Amino acid sequence: MNVVFACLDADTLGGIQQVTHTLAQGLAGRGHEVHVIGLHRSETPFRYVERPRYHRHLVSRAPVGPRGRLARRRDRRRVRDLLGGMRPGYAVLTSPSVVSRLAGLLPERLRAIGQYHGSYEHASGSWHLGSIRKHYPGLEQAVFLSEDDAWRFSEGALLPNAWALPNPLATWPDRVSSLTGPRVLGVGRLEGVKRFDRLISAFARSGAPPPWELHLIGDGAELDRLRAHAAREGVAERVVFRGRVPAGEMPGEYRAASLLAVSSEHEGLPVVLLEAAAHGVPAVAFDVSGGVRSARPVLVPPGDVDALAERLGRLIRSEHERRRLGAAARERAEAFRLDRVLDRWEALFTHLDR
Amino acid sequence: MPDCTVVVITYNDARRLPRAVRSVLGQTLRDLEVIISDDASTDDTPRVAAELAASDPRVRYLRREHNSGGCGAPRNDGLDAAAAPYVMFLDSDDELPRHACKSLLAEIERTGAEFVSGQISRLYEWNGRLHPYYPSLFARRRVVGGIREEPALFLDSFSTNKLYDVRFLRETGVRFPEEIHYEDHVFAAGLYAHARRFAIVPWVVYHWHRERGGSSISLSIKDMENVRHRVIAARRSDDVLRRHGLAGLVPDRQYRFLRQDLRVYLNPLPRRDLVWAKEFAAVVRPYLEEIPAEVYERVDPMVKVCCRLIMDDRAEDLRLAAGCLTGPRAAPRAAVQLGGRTYWGTTVSPGLDITRLRLAELPFSAARLRHEVTELTRDGDRVRMTVHTYDPFGALPVGWEAFLRLGRRRVPIHPRPSGDGGYVTEVAFAPEGACEPRIGFTRLSDRLTTTDRLIVDPAMRPIELPGGTLAPEGHTACLRVRRPARRPALLGRVKRLLIRRIGTPATKLRAYKLLIKVVRPRPDLALFESDVGKGCTGSPRALYEELRRRGLPIEAVWSVARGKAPDGARRVRRGSWKYVWTLARAGWWVDSHGFPLDYPKPRGTRYLQTWHGQGIKSIGFDAPDLRTDFDGPRAQWRAAVARWDALVSPSAEFSRRFVPSNGYTGPVYRYGTPRCDALVRGELSDDPRRLLELPAGKKVLLYAPTYRDRAKGSGRSVRADLELMAEELAGDWVVILRTHPVERYRPPEHLLHFVRPAGTYPEINDLMLVSDALLTDYSSVMCDYAITGKPMLFLVDDWDEYRTTERGVYHDLPAIAPGPCVTTTEELIARLRDLDAGHAAHAGRYAAFRELWCADERGDASARIVTDFFVRSPA
Repeated sequence: MNVVFACLDADTLGGIQQVTHTLAQGLAGRGHEVHVIGLHRSETPFRYVERPRYHRHLVSRAPVGPRGRLARRRDRRRVRDLLGGMRPGYAVLTSPSVVSRLAGLLPERLRAIGQYHGSYEHASGSWHLGSIRKHYPGLEQAVFLSEDDAWRFSEGALLPNAWALPNPLATWPDRVSSLTGPRVLGVGRLEGVKRFDRLISAFARSGAPPPWELHLIGDGAELDRLRAHAAREGVAERVVFRGRVPAGEMPGEYRAASLLAVSSEHEGLPVVLLEAAAHGVPAVAFDVSGGVRSARPVLVPPGDVDALAERLGRLIRSEHERRRLGAAARERAEAFRLDRVLDRWEALFTHLDR
Repeated sequence: MPDCTVVVITYNDARRLPRAVRSVLGQTLRDLEVIISDDASTDDTPRVAAELAASDPRVRYLRREHNSGGCGAPRNDGLDAAAAPYVMFLDSDDELPRHACKSLLAEIERTGAEFVSGQISRLYEWNGRLHPYYPSLFARRRVVGGIREEPALFLDSFSTNKLYDVRFLRETGVRFPEEIHYEDHVFAAGLYAHARRFAIVPWVVYHWHRERGGSSISLSIKDMENVRHRVIAARRSDDVLRRHGLAGLVPDRQYRFLRQDLRVYLNPLPRRDLVWAKEFAAVVRPYLEEIPAEVYERVDPMVKVCCRLIMDDRAEDLRLAAGCLTGPRAAPRAAVQLGGRTYWGTTVSPGLDITRLRLAELPFSAARLRHEVTELTRDGDRVRMTVHTYDPFGALPVGWEAFLRLGRRRVPIHPRPSGDGGYVTEVAFAPEGACEPRIGFTRLSDRLTTTDRLIVDPAMRPIELPGGTLAPEGHTACLRVRRPARRPALLGRVKRLLIRRIGTPATKLRAYKLLIKVVRPRPDLALFESDVGKGCTGSPRALYEELRRRGLPIEAVWSVARGKAPDGARRVRRGSWKYVWTLARAGWWVDSHGFPLDYPKPRGTRYLQTWHGQGIKSIGFDAPDLRTDFDGPRAQWRAAVARWDALVSPSAEFSRRFVPSNGYTGPVYRYGTPRCDALVRGELSDDPRRLLELPAGKKVLLYAPTYRDRAKGSGRSVRADLELMAEELAGDWVVILRTHPVERYRPPEHLLHFVRPAGTYPEINDLMLVSDALLTDYSSVMCDYAITGKPMLFLVDDWDEYRTTERGVYHDLPAIAPGPCVTTTEELIARLRDLDAGHAAHAGRYAAFRELWCADERGDASARIVTDFFVRSPA
């Protein structure tokens, strides 16, 4: 079967792109013909797959941004030409903006699957919900990150075609964390949406004794505010801002950690949660989305810093509890292994053919 | 074996049959069969059906030998022939949306239900709009364990919006009756009587096509036979329930009859003649007489009145009463008030009791009068009109003057007493463009005005005049003037097109950026704005007044979206070209929210940001709109804050929270709040008691809830149960409801005797000063209100949600609140009855609260800030 993935920008470093290339390589490995289309050139391209077994296409050499009328018309013509020559199959449109731009251009033999990589909660606070409500019912299938999200979209956006498919884990580690290092991990861009201020406060109030530390991996505009916040909370020395860490070194980071915390305002299905679980690291997370719930971390009411502190403190104090939850997390993470997720994609294709 | 059978019934509808069948063949579920079940059509149907069957092997054609006259028999034929385990029914004039079959199939397989029901939606063919039928019934996706759990579902008695397990239908023997119309009502009763488990889905699964003046059976409501069939179907449905031991649910089905079936005929009744109304009443009367009194108490009081009039054989009055059901719900001609109750018409009877509508207790400016146009004739380019005005609730005072309002125009009129307690007016006018004419009465004692629409003869022929066409609108037949059907001149169209093309926000911004490079700001021009142009109020207004008082040589311009500027100032419409020009030219910017965020400040302009409140809510980069996954809004706000040259800070607490959370580093004025000077000094700007008709002798509760970030404009911030409050408190209290400017909420008419909507009242300070207590949730108004020292109450039923996910806060409100915090309306009512004790018990906290937020308020903030900002600092 022919499967076409279309991204706004297929080669920038980001969650959607990583998932897309992982799936493309996986489906190609199962004998499907796979294409990945980027509508725009990436200014800082990143190579996700060393030897891709799928075809790659670029529509416009301009980066993502406002386009003139003529340029848009040219883009549309290129997309039509490109898709016009393709064999029958499925077109996976990876975000609401790709759906609104491409849905009208697909030939009939390519059946459209629209993805959404955020949670229902996030969509309902932005233009995404309106866009999904308007464009996704016209697609063959609308795909969300968890059963829970699919359910909420079916009610909140009146979608008759909502379906759930999780993000895959690109690799499966053989070695797991010893869960003895005195380290809590937080991973993500240092931006407001990640609410690391709440994590820092929770760490400060958790009663974690030295030498326990909170390591934050990632960079962003909030660095100075967060430093000041850590100082106010009296944990300036014990919050370590690690900056960006290359992907290849992340397994080591997981193995060195004993706990992961997810304190974000919004999340879809965070890959860090799955990767930590695969390394046997237990997690505490705000209950912000169906995706987060599907990974089954220890859940805390969203925004409840004291509850987060309490759960962190309890796990910091009990190595036994960490081991129990860590083993359960790794077992749960099996469901997100690439092979299992590819099976579910093929089941979706079967459903589409009914 | 296919997954699903769709039975398409048809009779003499060869024209539309292919559209219906194609909507099935185009389904995302491909493995299905279509059975065309033809009720012995005499038109081209056999040929059309044969072509469809030839074009696709999934289509089968069944034909009855003799016409059955209804939909039941062909549906039963199709059901008997179905090869699939699941079946759906479709009428030849309707369509299935393309996911209907697959989505319902997936749901029935997932839930193991006996049938699945989905949203049915009317599709108006003349404009393509969808109008869902009772969407609240379908809103939640769920499994229902039998009709007893949700008797409201009797409202969903369609057979077409469902997918059925064929084995369930065959085993229970639920079939369509064949000798009546509305066979689906009886079918649905059987379905509900047998089903132990069925599922509901919220998405649209059926497009019920409506043509203008359509003629399908369910729409030929003029046909008296149709009414008869509906009543028979209702009786038989009730019998089905009784036979299956569900007699207790019969009143719920009867409630459906009153709420839905009867309304189909009552709504258009004002347009029918007397003979029809009389016959209609005779047909439905016996069934209505069987319905127990308590069912009538559940429906709209006006429906109850209509039923009483049907039972009393008062056809003329029935037509009048039916006009009070729809649209603007016309007032009656007469009403009787006796012993605290109000009755429709001129007689007293429990069946005519409309007290619940509270029409007799409305404040004057919301009072209902009935203006009936008795004569309307064309006279050249004008019309001459005679209007009979009825004042059923005695709302008009001794002294008044009257006018006819046509859009923005007012034509004075002179109603004369008609002898029956009402008035007769003769007026001639020429319409100028579209409008909804209203007659208004202004009370001389306090200059308040009440207006109501004009009711015309529903059979009136439209009158075309150069200035517009007069025609009746809706079932109630309100007079309406439509725009003259003229094509505007070519030049005008080109001009409008150009303006639309050029006047986009993007071109305005581009022009502005060019403009500020070439023109210099004037040091004697100030631009004021508050509430993003929604009003001329708040701190910018206070500063503007101070500027005027001192006579400083600075010309002031107010940016307003709608409405007038204060005396002495010029007005520009926010967002207009003039506004763009003024932004570029003004040497002073003063506002309380933010001038358009993308507009850079011209070099040399000084920007005073007054902000519009302080309180417990998270703000700036901590607030939800800047905590999203996108970086754009954060960068935009950073640049917008960088434009500020000075910031008004009401308190040390504000400086501690607001300043860092917005990343502001410039000068801060700590003189108190200009907006609050009037509160400190107790100065009213107008007379709110008169304007809001606050009755003397009643206590005034100001209810000012803040908005919810995820539900702006939804009305959901009004969380107190106003119905319950009205019932319990209306004797002693009146409520001023001040919703947040981004919220939209209109209280229903039957609450207006107790609630005064004041969302757009120009000056909130006046509302605070005139009130006896404040009820809020998390609004910043609590900090201003503390200046008054009057009692406050807090309805914090969603505190945990608000605190953690909805918004985020800096303070634990229940711990610092200067008054009782309650979570239910019952508790709130109890606290209001014991207001002084609660206030006294919170005296310590009140003092601490004032110390935290209001310590700097001395009533001279405007004066000191004008001195510092306009006089001392160089422009």
